[in-house]
Amino acid sequence: MIRNEENGWKIDFSTEKPPTPLLDTINFPIHLKNLNLQDLDQLAAELRADIVYSVAGTGGHLSSSLGVVELTVALHHVFNTPEDRIIWDVGHQAYSHKILTGRRSRMHTIRQTSGLSGFPKRDESAYDAFGVGHSSTSISAGLGMAVARDLLGKKNHVVTVIGDGAMTAGQAFEAMNNSGYLDSNLIVVLNDNKQVSLPTATLDGPASPVGALSSALTKLQASNKFRQFREAAKTITKQIGGATREVAAKVDEYARGMISAPGSSLFEELGLYYIGPVDGHNVEDLVTIFQKVKAMPAPGPVLIHIVTEKGKGYPPAEAADDKMHGVVKFDPKTGKQFKSKSSTLAYTQYFANALIKEAEVDEKIVAIHAAMGGGTGLNHFQKKFPERCFDVGIAEQHAVTFAAGLAAEGLKPFCAIYSSFLQRGYDQVVHDVDLQKLPVRFALDRAGLVGADGPTHCGAFDITYMACLPNMIVMAPSDEAELMHMVATAAAIDDRPSCFRFPRGCGIGIPLPCDNKGTPLEIGKGRILREGSRVAILGYGSIVQTCIKAADSLINHGITVTLADARFCKPLDSELIRRLVNEHEILITVEEGSIGGFGSHVCHFLSLNGLLDGHLKLRSMVLPDRYIDHGSPQDQIDEAGLSSRHIAATVLSLLGRPMEALQLQ
Amino acid sequence: MRCGVILPGTSTAPVHLRHGAGTVSWIPPKRPGLRAAGLKARAAVEEGGRVGASFYDLLGISEGGSLEEIKRAYKKMARKYHPDVSPPDLAGEHTRRFIELQEAYETLSDPSRRARYDKDLARGLRFAFSSRRRFDQELEEKSAWKNRWQDQLETLKRRSVQRDSTENLSWGARIRRQRDGVSIE
Repeated sequence: MIRNEENGWKIDFSTEKPPTPLLDTINFPIHLKNLNLQDLDQLAAELRADIVYSVAGTGGHLSSSLGVVELTVALHHVFNTPEDRIIWDVGHQAYSHKILTGRRSRMHTIRQTSGLSGFPKRDESAYDAFGVGHSSTSISAGLGMAVARDLLGKKNHVVTVIGDGAMTAGQAFEAMNNSGYLDSNLIVVLNDNKQVSLPTATLDGPASPVGALSSALTKLQASNKFRQFREAAKTITKQIGGATREVAAKVDEYARGMISAPGSSLFEELGLYYIGPVDGHNVEDLVTIFQKVKAMPAPGPVLIHIVTEKGKGYPPAEAADDKMHGVVKFDPKTGKQFKSKSSTLAYTQYFANALIKEAEVDEKIVAIHAAMGGGTGLNHFQKKFPERCFDVGIAEQHAVTFAAGLAAEGLKPFCAIYSSFLQRGYDQVVHDVDLQKLPVRFALDRAGLVGADGPTHCGAFDITYMACLPNMIVMAPSDEAELMHMVATAAAIDDRPSCFRFPRGCGIGIPLPCDNKGTPLEIGKGRILREGSRVAILGYGSIVQTCIKAADSLINHGITVTLADARFCKPLDSELIRRLVNEHEILITVEEGSIGGFGSHVCHFLSLNGLLDGHLKLRSMVLPDRYIDHGSPQDQIDEAGLSSRHIAATVLSLLGRPMEALQLQ
Repeated sequence: MRCGVILPGTSTAPVHLRHGAGTVSWIPPKRPGLRAAGLKARAAVEEGGRVGASFYDLLGISEGGSLEEIKRAYKKMARKYHPDVSPPDLAGEHTRRFIELQEAYETLSDPSRRARYDKDLARGLRFAFSSRRRFDQELEEKSAWKNRWQDQLETLKRRSVQRDSTENLSWGARIRRQRDGVSIE
């Protein structure tokens, strides 16, 4: 039940679908136009109830959407989407936007195979102006759209919504700097909820905001001397009385300088007109401001600083340490999540445990991450070694070069950045780390397909972009024990950079090294897991487990394949590969990465050494040359053609038994 | 065009109640929006250990007490609990009590503040003392914000009218002048 009481709207959260009489009349933003402010307040309350109910059933990002309900309602009420463009930075807060733009009936499919994407996506809806997922891109895109509008002579508005966390990335400043210079009409909404790092940053709850930017933003919200200055300013203007326009304007500027919030000069210096702070949960305030700015002929770039609370309106989210940022299915009444029990930990956890163990014996080991303490497992490292763990905010480029600086002085930095996020710091990897041969260790989590987050977060390219670098050692564990050994290996590699990749997901349940302490592996040496004949499968990374399943299923067809775990993509185990080629007719390489990775390196090696001139049938199984949509991990693997069935089918076809290949389950 | 006006004295203290059935309900204040008010309310009610006592209980008087009664009760209590006259082992406890008494007196002796307090009390709220002050501060802060952005909007509006005059050489201004076909001013 959602009731209007004298203090505001009261929402009873329960497992029943909440009655939402007003929201039921809204299919598209045009239906918002004739609502009055009271209706908009009611709509916000109903939206909240709807989001909680919907996400409780599907899992996804909860609290960020709850924090911007009023903002979304105000934006769609004032602006005329889709002609007016709204760009959501990162996009995980856009659930209410999706509900209001014709996708309410499909919200129960969000982040699932063939369902709605968890982030705005251009080919999903005309109301999603720009595809997002990685942060801090919205202002750049918005400026591009604004400039295009100007060149094409159109009159629509462009609004970008960016959070205070995303604001710490360099790209946001690059965009603001450029927008100040170009002076195109653009509205930037800075959604400030004091969550500069994700609330999962530390084990003990939200991290104190990272960086100088947050203290600047906090100062903006203080209003100590404000009233006095304002009164003084008004008196001055009054006394001047019938002054000419220029003088009045000058006085205004001066008065404004006195009354403007300390710190707003940060944005003013970049050329954006600062308005705020504004209560981001007050629909009336937001509507007033947006209407006024919309009505102005040439405001130029404007930054509206709104203050919101993450998870607002849902008490379990407000109270939770991690604010229920990303959740699995939960009970709406209590907020308790239905986390499935797994007998093994996530790879992320094994990595963190192994790194902690290494750091216990070697005090030169330090860890760096980019605002992803929980996601990388480094929140555990931070708890044990608070002075040796560095959260740089959403700044991957800086993280890499910062690590390079640490390495140059003899420390042993481990840079834990997701495979797809490291793309942002690639030049730094090449130029600052690899070119100078500095021993920075990269722990690439979320390598390969990642399931519900979809292609924006998919780590398809890291093998390719790391293995082509001359000095980089590139390795991948096939299970959690191998992962711990590789952490130790990386710690031991002190003369050149190294990296290892591991997927999203849990371990397979293999016995771990004693006390979580791995042993360094011999560099450039793989291992044979099974001996067979005629056919050899050479897997790289966690997909070796899938190869094992394929090998098992082939036994039923009377085929015993040789199974090898390459461990290293660079340097390749040339001895192992030569042996496989010489002793088998068929060699299949398998990896969960794009073209240009492990398979390509093997192929190149074979061709250079004349090993393709003979009897060998070589096939490389890689991710296909297209983006795989979000969905369940199994669906994605099937779509990519890398399931155990596909591997077994490839073997059978090469052996001249295509009918059996087609009949595989 | 609406100019939001905050009427003094319409503070809406949010309520956080736990029903017997276990439903968690929360009232977001309609006007003005108080950030985290619900969370603070809950924290406030649990804070400080003096959950049950109202200002009236502290002073030992009835709820309808006159100003004279309040003054007398305060003087009596203050003499008892003043840190200078309390025995050393009870100094901490007495000091705390004294501070609470002060706040009780300040609230109840001011008619408008007392009215607000009585209203809360009628609704069954016993806020710990410091958080009530926090609410008031937040309210003040929010209305200060509003004044500030209203001013900022005014200035922007004035600026924007003159923005595309021919002196402005920015890319945006040039394109806008071209597009509008006329040069402003």
